[in-house]
Amino acid sequence: MKPKVAFFDFTCCEGCQLDALNMTGDQLASLLDAVDIVEFRETKTGTADHYDIAFVEGSISRDAEIPRLRGIRERAEVLVALGACACIGGVNCLKNAFEPEDALRRVYGDDAVHYDTIPARPIDAVVAVDHYLHGCPINGEEFRRTVADLLLGVTPRVPNYPVCVECKMAGNVCVFERGGSCVGPIIRGGCNAVCVTAGRHCWGCRGLVDDPNVNAQKEILERAGLDVEEVLEKFRIYLSCRKEAS
Amino acid sequence: MNERRTPRPSHALSADALAAMFARLAQSMRVVAPTERDGRFAYAPVDRFEEVRLDFDTTVLPPTVHLLPAKELLLRVRLGEAGSAEQVVDDLPTALFGVHPYDLRAIELLDEAFLGTRPDPHYAARRRNLLIVGIDCLHPSATSFAPSMGTQVATSGFDLLLTDIGEAHVATVGSDRGASTIDGLPGLRAATDAEIAEVGAQRDAATARFLVELDVPRERVARLLVDHYDDPYWEERSNTCLSCGSCVMVCPTCFCFDVADDVGLDLTSSSRVRRWDGCMLSDFARVAGGENFRATSAGRFRHRMLRKGKYLMERYGVVGCVGCGRCATACLSEIASPAEAWNAIAKIDRERREEQRAAAVDGSFVPQSVSLGRVVSLADKEKLFVLGLPGGRGIGHMPGQFVMLSVPGVGEAPISISSSPTREGTLDLAIRDVGNVTHAIHGLEVGAHVGIRGPFGNGFPIDALEWKDLVLVAGGIGLFPLRSLIQYVLDRRERFGEMTVLYGARTPADRLFVDELDQWAARDDLRLLQTVDHGAEGWDGPVGLITTLISPLEIEPAKTMAVVVGPPVMYRFVIAELKKKGLGDNQIILSLERHMKCGTGKCGHCQINGLTVCQDGPVFTLAQLRELPEAVQ
Amino acid sequence: MSDKNIHVHHVTRIEGHADIHVVVTGGRVETVRWEIPESPRLFEVMLLGRDHSDAAHIASRICGICSISHSIASLRASEAAFGIVPSEQTERLRRLLFAAEILESHILHIYFLAAPDFLGADSAFSLAASHREVVLRAMNLKRLAYTLADRLAGRKTHPISCVVGGFAKLPSPGLLEEARAQIEAAIPDLEETAQLLATFDIPGFTRETEYIGLTAADDYPFIGRTVASSDTGVAPIEEFLPTIREHCRPHSTAKHARHERESYMVGALARFNLNAANLHPRALRAAAALGLNAPCHNPYLITAAQAVEVVHAAEDSLVQIDALLEAGIRPETIHVSPRAGRGIGVVEAPRGLLIHDYTYDDDGRVTAADCIIPTAQNHGNIQRDFEALVPAIVDRSEEEIRRALEMLARAYDPCVSCSTHELKVRLDVER
Repeated sequence: MKPKVAFFDFTCCEGCQLDALNMTGDQLASLLDAVDIVEFRETKTGTADHYDIAFVEGSISRDAEIPRLRGIRERAEVLVALGACACIGGVNCLKNAFEPEDALRRVYGDDAVHYDTIPARPIDAVVAVDHYLHGCPINGEEFRRTVADLLLGVTPRVPNYPVCVECKMAGNVCVFERGGSCVGPIIRGGCNAVCVTAGRHCWGCRGLVDDPNVNAQKEILERAGLDVEEVLEKFRIYLSCRKEAS
Repeated sequence: MNERRTPRPSHALSADALAAMFARLAQSMRVVAPTERDGRFAYAPVDRFEEVRLDFDTTVLPPTVHLLPAKELLLRVRLGEAGSAEQVVDDLPTALFGVHPYDLRAIELLDEAFLGTRPDPHYAARRRNLLIVGIDCLHPSATSFAPSMGTQVATSGFDLLLTDIGEAHVATVGSDRGASTIDGLPGLRAATDAEIAEVGAQRDAATARFLVELDVPRERVARLLVDHYDDPYWEERSNTCLSCGSCVMVCPTCFCFDVADDVGLDLTSSSRVRRWDGCMLSDFARVAGGENFRATSAGRFRHRMLRKGKYLMERYGVVGCVGCGRCATACLSEIASPAEAWNAIAKIDRERREEQRAAAVDGSFVPQSVSLGRVVSLADKEKLFVLGLPGGRGIGHMPGQFVMLSVPGVGEAPISISSSPTREGTLDLAIRDVGNVTHAIHGLEVGAHVGIRGPFGNGFPIDALEWKDLVLVAGGIGLFPLRSLIQYVLDRRERFGEMTVLYGARTPADRLFVDELDQWAARDDLRLLQTVDHGAEGWDGPVGLITTLISPLEIEPAKTMAVVVGPPVMYRFVIAELKKKGLGDNQIILSLERHMKCGTGKCGHCQINGLTVCQDGPVFTLAQLRELPEAVQ
Repeated sequence: MSDKNIHVHHVTRIEGHADIHVVVTGGRVETVRWEIPESPRLFEVMLLGRDHSDAAHIASRICGICSISHSIASLRASEAAFGIVPSEQTERLRRLLFAAEILESHILHIYFLAAPDFLGADSAFSLAASHREVVLRAMNLKRLAYTLADRLAGRKTHPISCVVGGFAKLPSPGLLEEARAQIEAAIPDLEETAQLLATFDIPGFTRETEYIGLTAADDYPFIGRTVASSDTGVAPIEEFLPTIREHCRPHSTAKHARHERESYMVGALARFNLNAANLHPRALRAAAALGLNAPCHNPYLITAAQAVEVVHAAEDSLVQIDALLEAGIRPETIHVSPRAGRGIGVVEAPRGLLIHDYTYDDDGRVTAADCIIPTAQNHGNIQRDFEALVPAIVDRSEEEIRRALEMLARAYDPCVSCSTHELKVRLDVER
């Protein structure tokens, strides 16, 4: 009996599920040899009442999503939060700056009465999560490693060092040296510093490291002559989510 | 070739010759050279000579990354197939074209680390296939302090070394490979004397361009770091450390790594990969059970500075920091430069010495005059002298320290202090009549004046004893200094665990402080066990060597400290018994005695190997004594 | 049996969540509903107050499949607002990046979302067993697209290097040459894709509707400024935009759009109908082999039009790469001077016309944002197609009706989660 694997999504762009599938044909063949994908609405019909591993993408931003998530948790041995929205709330939390009714009204006008929304939150505000695959989107290699680890009974390792480590490993010239600002020094690595390598800066999509020195980060921004509040505002794109009581 | 002869500049290459050398290398190997990247410089594989920037100040990452790359496949393994581990090495011939002397020295250190004990085959393969063309650093980066580390010029570690003298590059050949690299190049000729002299001139001029220097000779750094190991500087300075690892990632002498297995989705093919890691990262010293053995950024910061300033040199015999300045540039919090840290510690050291000089704690030989308040006979040759101090004040001593007791016309002798500083206004000196000075004192009466200097010595390590269970072993007059400690502990009883005092005298008549012993025996917060070597009429206590009191003890070694003072011959046997109880070398404290004439570490008499008993002691841990061959009897 | 009750909760093999409800009583069709229960994302409020340098980053997260489309539409809106004209090099690189997205999205849809229905499987995973070569081909084509996008923008899902005014990091000529070789090598696989479709038993349903998309005189554009309607002709986007009406439907978080008729279609078939003459010859040959001729009114053939477009996108990529290599890649200094104003960026996302409409203040912060999503524009058409189709097949079994409706929905390749968080310019409510 092969382990049963399922993919679910809530409020999200579905990019993480698709990136999970971005692999070579051989890798897909290996995956399908190793597991049974029993539920994955985006790519197949079929449901199941038990999963060995459930991947959940997306944050919770509607009341109706809460019981659905709880149901998945009950049916799953292992539940993995897939991507920034599920892990830390993701960009969806930007709307939390507005009261839900206000946000709906701005978007739908008088028809706001037909819609509902609650402050967006990561899935661990609602259910216990066994593993986190961070990033917006996830890192495909990390996904494959995690699947292999889970199937072998190994606890997947989540990096707890800042993005700077991987930036240096890539040989990048530091964003601050190029006159920009970056929140990498307090953000969890594991992404291979892809955004800096591609010419930009880190926005913080993998969330804070376990013990970030936020005061040091603020000092660095000040010393670089940057308006700290303005810069931190930029970086709240991913870091502004608070766990709401469900 | 005579390898012991220092290579000297010998040839001159024109610009064309240099380009031709590059082309020659590129034909048969991958050439890695400094190139421009985003406004800085970085080593990269280069196809065209035009991309090479030999005028670089420094690079983001050091050239050592080609010996220890960020990720390196070590083994391929097929899970489920025993013995299938297949070693993977990279032996692609590579030329490093343009390596500054400080990086050459770093490579020497890595060679020691990776090719010394248990040579690393991955490093070895890369190293074997590496040709190194060095180049003098004439325009250093603003943060480099290579001259202070002696690394701004190199006389070894290269196959070829180039010096840009303007119209040409002068070449110094460092090996046969280097010689064949330039052999027969068009535009190659012997260097003239003027050109060779210009090499020296260029190097001298370059040395002056380094903006950062150490304020102390680099040989002193190790000692300074040890002396100020507990200084609050480490915590204060590392307050803004992000534990981002940038400093260790860019460092040419850093080589810590992590090893992990990556398994493919086929659940069969596994790669064992090593990746850069660093002691500055927060989880570096964490073990699977969750304990983190270097959990604070202050601890990590200090460790790095000691590794670079002391440990690497001691272990490998090569300077541990080459002063390249990369970490200083990379550190966003601007705290990473070892030069800054060591200079700061040197400054703290200077300031402390100034304070000590300014304070009255000096090396004067003038004793303070005190009178004898009481004289109590303790045993045949032992008396207690209770000194009256002016104003009833103490002399600010700690248990385990001693004074130099002075009798004018006779001399001075070192005497342990027998009372605790917690007993205000008293200073007890228990003295055995054994020499001229002590004999003279024994002849004095109440009201007589003597001189004291001090207190000297380091005292018992109260910090290490607090909150522990104590086993205090006093042999004979070893009780003199231990009484000070016992009183101290009794006066601060709640800060210590269980206290067991073992006291052995030669005979019952030789027992000292008998009234106090009875008081201690009657207490329930102190366990006193006594023995005598030889029994006598009226003695119904144990008879036997003091070691016999140790083995019946039930102690928890993890939370016990033992302090032992007694005649030299006793130590070996007592230590053996305490070791059997499971105590570590750092848990056994001893007080030593030596001939002393000054008490301030100058007369030289109390030396044991490199230490002085009067300043570094008289209290030592057994661990320390293990490092002193002369101390072991 | 003349009573039918069909309730599909969360149609599978589409992006996002959508429901189908059909109720037939005594042979009479009572209810036909295409319903969107997707959570409102509310990107408009997410963009409010944001700096222009973050707008595309956030907008990209509207969709994980068409993040490149959203990014480029967003960047073009900002550029239009600030009066920035990107260089030809940037235009070509963006066009190349776009080709990667068209390729990946269409291949994903053709093989993973639509094909299983035609090959008797419930998913591409089961196809991996029965039609292994087909799935491998699909995976490799997807990888090609991902690799191309990785090289150009750092990452395909939520691209990184694209900025207002150009690219933060440019590809090297060597990378472009490698990409060229890989694309050229993949073209036979793309032609195979079209041939595979020719073997499918496509239902023969037609319903003519209005077709809207970008157009150009001698191009098959995915990036542009000129919009064509099969009913009303050609207009620049600024003139065209106000003529689109969106309205809310009860029980659906996605709005429906209309232009001249009750509904209209955007997407691959609309583009084909409007611009087929400008397809690359090889793509035209693929269309002919599929029996696809413009105008085509069978929505089930949207998938076929996609198969034609991937051939075209690949050929166009080669043209772009050759031009870039000829001119040489030149570093550019990008300087953005924000100013108050409004700008519209419009692209053809894989699923159709995509519009980002931003208003900025003098500091370069977003004060208003509208996004008109392709699938939102198609919801009305899907509803109308259902309403036309159900009566025609009402005598078939529930299972067959359900399948026909699901396959029709799938043919549109709807991207539902994108379509629920747009703002409307004008709001007409229809109950």
